[in-house]
Amino acid sequence: MRTDALHAVRLARMDLKLLGRNTTAMVNVVLLPFLFGLMFSQNGDQTFVLTGLPGLMVVFAVFINLVNSFTARREELVLKRLRGGQSSPAAIFGGAALSGLAVYAGQVALLSVWIDRSGGGLPRNVPMMLVAAVLGTAVFALLAAAFSGITPNAEFAQVAVVPVLLVALLGAPLMVPLEHMPFAARLVPTTPITEMMRMGYVGGPWVDALPWIGALVVWLGIAVLLVRWLFRWDPRHS
Amino acid sequence: MGMRTIETRDPVAPTTADGPAIEVAGLRQRYGSFEAVRGISFEVHPAELFALLGTNGAGKTTTMEVLEGFTGASEGRVRVLGLDPVRRRRALRPRIGIMLQEAGFLGDLTVAETVAVWKGMSADAGRPPLEADVLETVDLAAKAKTRVRQLSGGQKRRLDLALALLSRPEVLFLDEPTTGMDPEARQATWEVIRGLRAAGTTVLLTTHYLEEAERLADRLAIMHEGVIRTYGTVDEVVSTTGDQITFRLPEPAEPPFLPGAAPVVTGSQVVYSLAGEAHPALRTLLAWADGHGLTLERLEVRRGTLEDAFLRVVGDRR
Repeated sequence: MRTDALHAVRLARMDLKLLGRNTTAMVNVVLLPFLFGLMFSQNGDQTFVLTGLPGLMVVFAVFINLVNSFTARREELVLKRLRGGQSSPAAIFGGAALSGLAVYAGQVALLSVWIDRSGGGLPRNVPMMLVAAVLGTAVFALLAAAFSGITPNAEFAQVAVVPVLLVALLGAPLMVPLEHMPFAARLVPTTPITEMMRMGYVGGPWVDALPWIGALVVWLGIAVLLVRWLFRWDPRHS
Repeated sequence: MGMRTIETRDPVAPTTADGPAIEVAGLRQRYGSFEAVRGISFEVHPAELFALLGTNGAGKTTTMEVLEGFTGASEGRVRVLGLDPVRRRRALRPRIGIMLQEAGFLGDLTVAETVAVWKGMSADAGRPPLEADVLETVDLAAKAKTRVRQLSGGQKRRLDLALALLSRPEVLFLDEPTTGMDPEARQATWEVIRGLRAAGTTVLLTTHYLEEAERLADRLAIMHEGVIRTYGTVDEVVSTTGDQITFRLPEPAEPPFLPGAAPVVTGSQVVYSLAGEAHPALRTLLAWADGHGLTLERLEVRRGTLEDAFLRVVGDRR
């Protein structure tokens, strides 16, 4: 267990180093959600939109980032090399998720500064935001691993993630309050993250967050099943 | 170009003190209705270099991947250092090194960073990993700061070998280790492998280069269509192929049948492929030539080679 954790941290550090050397990935994964935030917060309640933005950020920082990474590494036989080493599959997945979490946490921290500078104040319940970030990262890292299994190559991955991005953008309460959205919006996996992040920001009580924590745990179970079903270590042509 | 021989490794006794380092008994491996390996058995002793030879699709890599623990055996028993490679993966992996036939690198990392990352993943084996000199061992020290994507195919293979050596493995799996290397690098890699074996490492090698097996292997097996057709030391395997006698007949004559061999005549060229040693056949042949007052021009006796044995095994059953 300790070895797995150690290996996961080392793999995450390597992933972050590689992300820093890839300008395209940096723009797509790190900067784009801020541009979306800037665009959507021009009209209406800026603080409402920005406090919900972490629900979209998780899609960029974790899902899109890791679908690309898992797919490219599978096709280039890097996953096979990792699996041939001493790291366990748990450490390999954990490393990927940790790097996604680091990017995501950095984005949320920067966003908090932005919200504070624009008059919205600083977050009031940071632990709740952390729980949302950790659970959300776990769900989307696993969904990314599963999604990579049905993605033939890294080029296609750029397009394949678009429907998921659209659902997260339009199906979750990013710009519109949840009570004004159809029930189906509650079933979107970014909705619990958006709601918990918002609650955390304004200092909502933990009891209100419990249903959303439950929803994320259910999504975690679904994502594990999907990974077992769809994830592949070897290239699709092999 | 000059790779260094590894002298730093402390030989570590395998789990099976007196038993084989690698044990394969009745291994079958199926992919759907296709059976890639069809009931093979062999053992590799500690500090032995065992080579698996065969054509593409013979089942060599499948066998390696089962032994490395990538996939469980469909049927049969496999043990590496006395451990089941799949069920005891966590205990076994720190003690083995794997050089896959094909595996990718993270091209944006430098050579030194790649080794550092891999070393970070090899530090819990109970033995310290090889230090930075692993790059010197495979003659890549000068490329330490080069991004991996800029390396040639042969250099990548050498980096592959370096990563496999990092944890000072007790058992090393080398799947076509010198493919893509120039002859000089190949020779140097052979020296590294010889050094490893001398230091007590058990090596299981697959290769398409028969010369590589002939020079390195203590014992070998030739696989064909998922089955081991021949098995033994290089001499034992070569001895399954008899000697060859060739000569030219200066005038039309009917060359005789020799014990166990019929002549193959092409123009004036006569070839006998014998089942064993040439000596008795040669005596009969020379007596026949004397009796007919003939001189056998360019008479040659050639010992069978591993290539002959390989082609006989593979060719006979094609």
